[in-house]
Amino acid sequence: MPHDHDHPHPHAHDHDAHAPIVEDAAPGYYEVMETALRELLIGKGLITAAEIRRQIEVLDSRTPALGAKVVARAWTDPAYRARLLEDGRAAVEELGITVYDDTQLIVLENTETVHNLIVCTLCSCYPRPVLGLPPDWYKLKPYRARAVSEPRKVLAEFGTVLPEGVEIRVSDSTSLVRYLVLPRRPEGTEGWSEEALAALVTRDAMIGVVPVTLAQEAA
Amino acid sequence: MAASVPDHVSRLPNDIGGAEAGPIVQVEHELLPWEKRCHALADVLDFRKIVNTEEKRKGVEALGETLIGQLPYYERWTVAFANILFAKGLLTPSELARKMQEVEARFGPPAGEAASDAAAPAGEPAR
Repeated sequence: MPHDHDHPHPHAHDHDAHAPIVEDAAPGYYEVMETALRELLIGKGLITAAEIRRQIEVLDSRTPALGAKVVARAWTDPAYRARLLEDGRAAVEELGITVYDDTQLIVLENTETVHNLIVCTLCSCYPRPVLGLPPDWYKLKPYRARAVSEPRKVLAEFGTVLPEGVEIRVSDSTSLVRYLVLPRRPEGTEGWSEEALAALVTRDAMIGVVPVTLAQEAA
Repeated sequence: MAASVPDHVSRLPNDIGGAEAGPIVQVEHELLPWEKRCHALADVLDFRKIVNTEEKRKGVEALGETLIGQLPYYERWTVAFANILFAKGLLTPSELARKMQEVEARFGPPAGEAASDAAAPAGEPAR
């Protein structure tokens, strides 16, 4: 079995004990390759250093707080919720969130009877404009392999146990179509401000592996 | 006995939906600076229509199951980019090998390790 492991930076610790290399400097083989590729492409005028810098800033600017803002708006504004479910991309752009990777966004609403879960079985496609980059577990084999065949067991491993009657729908992302789960608004939050609601909404709830709960506020 | 198509015939390495797998371990890590640069490079290659997301995924798949199993995520992307750019005629393996030596030379004296196998990146996972 390919061991999709959880140690994504082997060269950080693998210096030969006999080689007098200063710990801080020497980059790993693949880091060197990435730098070389980037510099060659810049040298050929195919990309620019400024584009890379800008994109790093874009990546840094995307966190689950954006998705949480979208969810809280949908909970408090029925017209917005309708627009969000109709055209996810247009609705998040309405809040000033640019869909920088030019993907379609489909928002899936959880209800009393339907629970949604997102996955990318082939790789790691993810609603990056609204959630940032995916966690490692989303990219690793166990989640990708099992989410589509035994979602109930997968959810249970995240501590989420749904009543038997609830239908689970799993949506498999592609390079062009991404999904975002609109979780259920927890009971007991009537009259809460949009900001207070947004603070309850976690990344994992928008992937669909956990519900939004009041208890998370304290966590 | 009816012949059934074995998984390794009907499925490419990335196609693991529904496969047997162990428990989910909720690991995550803050990207290392070079990993973030690699991600930004991937995005820019996509924006510039040089390597799109699907080409990148197929490029990773083309590394084969063994290498996919050995290399972490951004390492796979990096090697896939090199191969794709070679295939598109945008870079040559010797150009990349020379550039890698140049980049390595910025970080102190050469440690006597072979840095010249850049053109055949299917070697050791970490050096």
